Amino acid sequence: DSVIKRNSNHAQSFTLKGLVLESSDLPEKDEAESYVQKGLKKNPKQPLACHIAGIYYRQVKNYAEASKWYQAALDNNSTNKGIWRDLSTMQSQIRDYKNLPKSRLEFLEEQSGYRCNWTGAALAHYLNGDYAAAEKVLTKIEDVIKGSLGESDMYEHSECHLLKNKIIADSGDYARALKDLDELVEGGEVRDGTALLEFRALYLEKLGRDQEASKIYRQLLKRNPDNVDYYHSLERTLGTLNKPAALRLALYEKLARFYPRSDPPKFIPLTFLKGDAFEKKLREYILGQLKRGVPATFVNVKPLYKRKSNIPVIFKIVNEFYNSEENSDPLIHTWTAYFLAQHYYRIHDYKNAIAIIDEAIHLTPTLVELYIVKARIYKRINQLEKASSIMEEARLMDLQDRFINYKSTKYFLRANNINAAVDTISLFTKNDETSNGVADLHTMQCIWFLTESADAYFRLYKSALQQIETVKKTPSETQAEELFNLNKDVVTYSGLALKRYGAVIETFGVYWDDQLDFHQYCLRKGTPRAYLDMLSWGDHVFHQPIYMKSLVGYSNVTFDILHNEEYFKEVLTARPVKKSKKEKKEEGKKRELLIKYARANVKDEDVLGETLVKKLVDMKNKDKLGELTKLITKSEYDLSIDSQILKFKLNFELKKFVLCLQSLNKIHAVNATHPSIGALYLKLHQELNDSNVQDAIKKILILGLTKNFGTLVKNENRELVIDELVKIYLKHDT
Amino acid sequence: MAITIRLATIDDLQGMQNANLSNLPENYTFKYYLYHLLSWPQASFVATTTDPELLEQDETQVTDIKKDTQYVRSGEKIVGYVLGKMDDDPDSTDKETPHGHVTSLSVMRTYRRMGLADKLMRQCLFALCENYKAEYVSLHVRKSNRAALHLYKDTLKFEVLSIENSYYQDGEDAYYMKKKLKLDELLASTFQNAQEEDDLESDLLEGIVVDGVSAL
Repeated sequence: DSVIKRNSNHAQSFTLKGLVLESSDLPEKDEAESYVQKGLKKNPKQPLACHIAGIYYRQVKNYAEASKWYQAALDNNSTNKGIWRDLSTMQSQIRDYKNLPKSRLEFLEEQSGYRCNWTGAALAHYLNGDYAAAEKVLTKIEDVIKGSLGESDMYEHSECHLLKNKIIADSGDYARALKDLDELVEGGEVRDGTALLEFRALYLEKLGRDQEASKIYRQLLKRNPDNVDYYHSLERTLGTLNKPAALRLALYEKLARFYPRSDPPKFIPLTFLKGDAFEKKLREYILGQLKRGVPATFVNVKPLYKRKSNIPVIFKIVNEFYNSEENSDPLIHTWTAYFLAQHYYRIHDYKNAIAIIDEAIHLTPTLVELYIVKARIYKRINQLEKASSIMEEARLMDLQDRFINYKSTKYFLRANNINAAVDTISLFTKNDETSNGVADLHTMQCIWFLTESADAYFRLYKSALQQIETVKKTPSETQAEELFNLNKDVVTYSGLALKRYGAVIETFGVYWDDQLDFHQYCLRKGTPRAYLDMLSWGDHVFHQPIYMKSLVGYSNVTFDILHNEEYFKEVLTARPVKKSKKEKKEEGKKRELLIKYARANVKDEDVLGETLVKKLVDMKNKDKLGELTKLITKSEYDLSIDSQILKFKLNFELKKFVLCLQSLNKIHAVNATHPSIGALYLKLHQELNDSNVQDAIKKILILGLTKNFGTLVKNENRELVIDELVKIYLKHDT
Repeated sequence: MAITIRLATIDDLQGMQNANLSNLPENYTFKYYLYHLLSWPQASFVATTTDPELLEQDETQVTDIKKDTQYVRSGEKIVGYVLGKMDDDPDSTDKETPHGHVTSLSVMRTYRRMGLADKLMRQCLFALCENYKAEYVSLHVRKSNRAALHLYKDTLKFEVLSIENSYYQDGEDAYYMKKKLKLDELLASTFQNAQEEDDLESDLLEGIVVDGVSAL
């Protein structure tokens, strides 16, 4: 401050003040960015000011901006060479691979005594597709350090060898990669024996040397006889996939003699056998497991239901065993009934499923697994409360087991019984600072709990809306008050749904941020191959279906609120109906309880999400979809139908119909008969008759739609169009 | 859903975190899982379901991934995992000898009695020894967890070194267990009680005759 007082143009002091404020708990923390910007405005070429700005933006997780200012510091002749390393971290995080090699190489020049900087430079070339340059860097450092490695360097050394070998292979030169592999084996410096074999098998196969590859897969099976992939690869390289079933069976019988305790050689034949051979092998498989009391016996054969003719065979074997005298052990008898219940469930015969699971429970009332299946049957036929009470019964039989606790919690949530769910799961969470586990589950990133709670709040919100309609239809003395309370519920539950979906979205943001520390760490630790895996995981982290599900939920609530803005505004500002003291007290209690069961963290000032809803309603029109647009853009993925539906809906709101058309075409490309296509098409079709839409846009739409929808586009009879759409896109949707 | 056992990859970590949250009271944030795989990429394994295609299948093969945190890919659900590491604790009592540690192991309740925990552990022990030259591996078990105690003590031949009082947050004691590792005694296929061994050289299809025609 005193420097600023003396010299009000001292850029670096302003940025520094911003940085210090950001790290502080002072009330002026909010002004941190304005100080940073003030400093940059005063002198955008002052290297220290730029550097501090870079650090500031890194701290607030704006990595693109941080990258920009680190670069600016260097461009303005900062003498601090360490900035190159920080810059390369930012570039890696935002996947700016184009500029990454320069940063890594500059820093390598600065500190060439560390192997990690060579590895970093090689990876930077590799990520740009420059395999030759990457290999050259790795070879060079290998030559430099030859003979000077200690025992503690050998793991890193091993991984770098394998990285180089992978790079040679990725360049397409499998012959050279294989030769390099021979040398690595000879040298004895590579530790990861599995990788050596897997690489070798791959290269041999690529080179058409299948017979040799098959022998490598046999070596891999010795290491891990429970890996299904090795068996498939063995068959592929032996060339038996298209051979007669009897030959394949004989092969697997031999493998089963080598590996009698492994599942794949017993199971895989069931995927290709038919007739008597199938029945014989299936009988051995199923009865072997049932007699050992394996709970997953049914689940293990479930994929076989995809061939219809298998189903009666499975049933015959198990049902005969169920009724046979051989089956006299009550526990085995119970597990057999448990199998049959799941069989009936799979073929949608819920009546028999319930009958036989009840028989099983009658026989052995203490087996938790039976109740799990029974509850699932009731869940499937939509008796959610009954399902939940059955699962709870099971939980009470084994209070030490978190698995059954999790099941019961989930079923409570499905039945919209949130308080019971929270009470239940809180038996296993850390509740030091709050009265239950909701906060801990947020901290521990328990995605399933967050999504299930969000869905439950969403259903409660929808049900409040429905109840409002019912109450409106039947005038009564208490109508006004009932409506007032229900309107409040609508706000609360929509707010809570937003909060929980939002928590999932935030958690995924944390996952993405988690990568940050590892851009340098992996180089030091000597794990560059695993690091590459992390980058490709990170590239798709926002495309995951479970993430998309929450984003869809979040968007649905947001669109709902925006479409009913006037209503929400009215409810938010509505004055309470006159209430007695007692009623007010009751209302206060209800609110307290809601807060108790919803608090997501100790400091939360908007536990019920009311401020979220209010903010959305009060925002200026052009800002309303701003945040959602950012989220949807970040998660956009051509191959995800959910992602494209979301983008369609967003652009429809924004009246950007050509972009809607693009999304519709992308959905069509992924799945030409996807049930969502009909409804989305109809929306665009209607715009063709809207006089507010420009003719030029209409022309583009007609042209673009005709490709996939033909003459339908010209049809002006709405009813006929709908009929046609239902016929094509909703025929499977029963 | 036949089960496969394989090396854990970064893509599996969220499913492992989910399995951990569903089964065990000791939970960790995602970054800790990431730290494990980026520090010791060969030390963790998963058991997952598979959904193989059948010959002449009637139903269309599902390719969508279920919207459920357990799923890694279509038909591929994580039902068990072992999270392994090398001891890098600066306060470790034994900094001289490289040794491994099992952070967490669990198998979903509905997939028990198939020997999955045993198989996951054997992969982990072999990998710790081969890749990181671990000379022994240690772990903690809840005193009340009889199934786990049986697995480590009887099946995997760990020895109980000590009882650590109130090791867990809820106050429960832990057995501290240890097993010495020797690579040539850890190969997974040697625990199969097999009568026959693959010599890795002879023709697997030799002698197999189908429908009167030699398969070769």
